[in-house]
Amino acid sequence: MFSLDHRDARPIYEQIRDGLRRMIVTGALAPDEKLPSVRALAMELAINPNTIQRAYAELETEGYTYSVPGKGIFAAQRQAAAPARLETLLERLTELLTELHFLEVPLEAVTARVEEVYHD
Amino acid sequence: MIEVRELTKTFDGFKALDSASITVPDGAIYGLVGPNGAGKSTLIRHLTGIYRPDSGVCLAGGEPIYENPAAKARIAAIPDDWYYFPSATIRDMMRFYRGMYPTFDEKRYEKFKDVFQLPEKAVIRRMSKGMQKQAAFWLAMCCRPDYLILDEPVDGLDPVMRRQVWSLMMGDVSEHGTTVLVSSHNLRELEDVCDHVGILHKGRVLLERSLSDLQDNIVKVQTVFQPGTVPELPRDLEILHTSCIGRVYTYIIRGNGETVGQKLAACQPVMIDILPLSLEEIFIYELGGEQYAVKDILF
Repeated sequence: MFSLDHRDARPIYEQIRDGLRRMIVTGALAPDEKLPSVRALAMELAINPNTIQRAYAELETEGYTYSVPGKGIFAAQRQAAAPARLETLLERLTELLTELHFLEVPLEAVTARVEEVYHD
Repeated sequence: MIEVRELTKTFDGFKALDSASITVPDGAIYGLVGPNGAGKSTLIRHLTGIYRPDSGVCLAGGEPIYENPAAKARIAAIPDDWYYFPSATIRDMMRFYRGMYPTFDEKRYEKFKDVFQLPEKAVIRRMSKGMQKQAAFWLAMCCRPDYLILDEPVDGLDPVMRRQVWSLMMGDVSEHGTTVLVSSHNLRELEDVCDHVGILHKGRVLLERSLSDLQDNIVKVQTVFQPGTVPELPRDLEILHTSCIGRVYTYIIRGNGETVGQKLAACQPVMIDILPLSLEEIFIYELGGEQYAVKDILF
């Protein structure tokens, strides 16, 4: 599904969380599609099941997944982001914009990109 | 749950264990780490019922382990110096284990033939070290133990086999809640598989925590201050280590990433990066405080 990068400074659970989130956001995991079970992912990546549990728990609080007792964990529909997640994302956007501004990329080029994504 | 309370063991006046206490919760994977000669193997030999404690207790599921077959039937171990009977084959050893462990799973033994691909009818003692270790895993995992005690378990296994056995163990942990205690020097690998860590040093337990707790409580900060100034850092920060290359200052600070960041913001840094530490770095800095550090040797 995805692999872990041991040179990455992020802890493993964050890598799993971010990897799965990316798959959900890009549609690689369709809404209501089942995520791999904790056991299956633990065996595939050869890492502690609790680490995977932690990543799954965070995705659920962020609203990217929902769980059905006895059935498993599923990708959620597109919806409003949790406030904390929104804050981090906007902060990252500011960071990127600061760099683009530093590189003297014209505002039009940036807004054109924004519109492209939003009208998609 | 595995509980060790105030365990002391002396060999010829040398205190190998000095009132060491550890707790391994059920379903946990506990990494036991420490410098050479810290007492890891001694502790493990108590947990497998080989040594009798001088004082203190060693319990598995609330039962003392030494000379207690009922408790030992729930524990499987792979020691650092394993023993196979002379001229025994894997199948012979299987029969021996089957007689010792009431929970021995013969179906699983047959299934694992595909996994390990060892010659079942060859004499184990004539096999290579790595193959002998694979045989040890094969047999131990077929015992379906509640507690799996491993001393340097994947040493000598090739990379594919290492991943294979970890994967099998992770399956057992999530499916059956098997409790695993593993000693190793490969901290990179332990970081993936463990959720609890105990650091042993000179027979004592230096610290014991869950891995997420450990990683959330120590950070590496890389920062650049305003040109020409190095402000005094807030006094309530516990700084374990400082280094400086050019204008970039690197600190190892005890505390949660967010709170450390907020406190350092008072110094108005130009740039600040807060990074988590790897288990290997935590090990080095924690032991550095105990005068166990890499020495600069000049030739």
